[in-house]
Amino acid sequence: MLSIGEYIRLYFLIETQYIKAQMQYRADFLISSIGMFFSSLATLSIFVVLFQSIPNLAGWSLMEMVFIYAFYMIAISPMQILFDNIWWIRYKVQSGDFLRYYFRPLNMMFYFMSERFDIKGLTQLAAGIILLAYSSVKLGLEWSPWKLAALVIAVFSASLVLISIAVMAGSSAFWLVNSYPVLALAWKIREFAPYPMSIFDGIFRFAFTFILPIGFIAFYPAQFFLRPEEITPVIYLTPVIGVALFALTYRVWTLGVNSYTGTGS
Amino acid sequence: MRGYIAFIRGAMLVGVVYRLGFLFTILGNIVYIIIAYFLWRSIYSGSDSINGLTFDQALLYVALGSTMFILLKTYTDWGMAGEIRDGTISIYLTKPIDYQLYNFFTTIGFASTSLVTVTLPTVLMLLFVFRIHIAFGVGYLFFPVSLLIAFIIGFNFDYAVGLMAFYTESIWGISITKEIFISVLSGALLPLQFFPAAIQQILMWLPFQAIYYTPLMMVTKPDQEVGVFLQMLAVQIAWAVVTYFLSRMLYNQAIKVLRVAGG
Repeated sequence: MLSIGEYIRLYFLIETQYIKAQMQYRADFLISSIGMFFSSLATLSIFVVLFQSIPNLAGWSLMEMVFIYAFYMIAISPMQILFDNIWWIRYKVQSGDFLRYYFRPLNMMFYFMSERFDIKGLTQLAAGIILLAYSSVKLGLEWSPWKLAALVIAVFSASLVLISIAVMAGSSAFWLVNSYPVLALAWKIREFAPYPMSIFDGIFRFAFTFILPIGFIAFYPAQFFLRPEEITPVIYLTPVIGVALFALTYRVWTLGVNSYTGTGS
Repeated sequence: MRGYIAFIRGAMLVGVVYRLGFLFTILGNIVYIIIAYFLWRSIYSGSDSINGLTFDQALLYVALGSTMFILLKTYTDWGMAGEIRDGTISIYLTKPIDYQLYNFFTTIGFASTSLVTVTLPTVLMLLFVFRIHIAFGVGYLFFPVSLLIAFIIGFNFDYAVGLMAFYTESIWGISITKEIFISVLSGALLPLQFFPAAIQQILMWLPFQAIYYTPLMMVTKPDQEVGVFLQMLAVQIAWAVVTYFLSRMLYNQAIKVLRVAGG
């Protein structure tokens, strides 16, 4: 077994080679980055247009929504950059190619995910950081070292929530083979993470908090920084939900890996 | 022409293989509509009518918009990119088949399956579960024609993006950019009435509105004069013709760079 330090070193080695290989296609990288940039800003532009007609959304101002959205962009970036290979799992499972991950003394999730490093996701991360800084200046938010540390924890936990949902959806490939519809469904619902959870009624709010916890990808953790005076206990659950969900996802993944027998082709 | 009909049938048969996919697609659309319901209820919490649309009209517009989006998202560009990259395209080029028409009829086949398995159940649900109140009017008669023309314009865009695979390794960036431009500027996500007047003026002169806004308005506000609908159709047809010729010109350029190695 390798130590965490050795894994990190290995990851850098693998990704350096991967990035070098990808840099053969410079035009492709450029176009993908532009596409990523536009796709990040689509929902935001809808917010901006919508707020021309309404003063606030369930009590939240446009700039507050921009802050939540910026938090969302940062929180979804680790999934995009580090775990993007989950979209390809169905091809590997279907072709039997997945069997090759069993033959190395490495953690299989690590080995599988290290195969792809989504460079264009960095565009989204950068745009998110710029937007977060911009909106927090506009809103006059005060940042202390303590709050910045909390921001790092919040982003880390929120990204674990999305990574868990996506990896779990992708792991359905071990049983269904074609995991695309499940993953696409998770991806579609993900888009609603930045909306205020307060627009939902009882049962749906409960569902988006505890069953399909998209509230923890952006709205709950961002609220901690936006309106500290209105914090409800549920917000403090963010790290717990993130870690617990990832642990559960890892178990589902392991179950899938252990039950996979190839497709005979 | 008979030959092309076979492509429709073929695509429909491929389509029904992925039954589980339809189930998740319907589920995804239902969740989307539920979220849209709450979102728009919150938007309309202070007023009965915003920008000339009532809550029912706005919800119908957005829910149908999302359903139409699924119908029009046929992954034609992705299929073409795959064929161009691995050289399968040569099969079609060496036969007396028009590559654009072949793709069009295949797309029609996929969309027909989706129409029956996703669109119809969703529309029935909108009517009987969500109980959306709809006004009746002559607009409903024009809607099917308008939807078909919208489909053609959407296809032309997809086809043009697919052709880009002749030039680049991956069409992800171009495809996603196209999708974003269409979904934001066509009014697929938000009725165009919500855009500032100046931007609305510009959007009306672009082809995107002919894909979603036009057919959706025929259903959202069906009780207008026949002349209004005829004019809407005329604009749509004009864009269908223009995008068709542009995509054909693009093909004639792109095909020159094709090199298929081996086979």
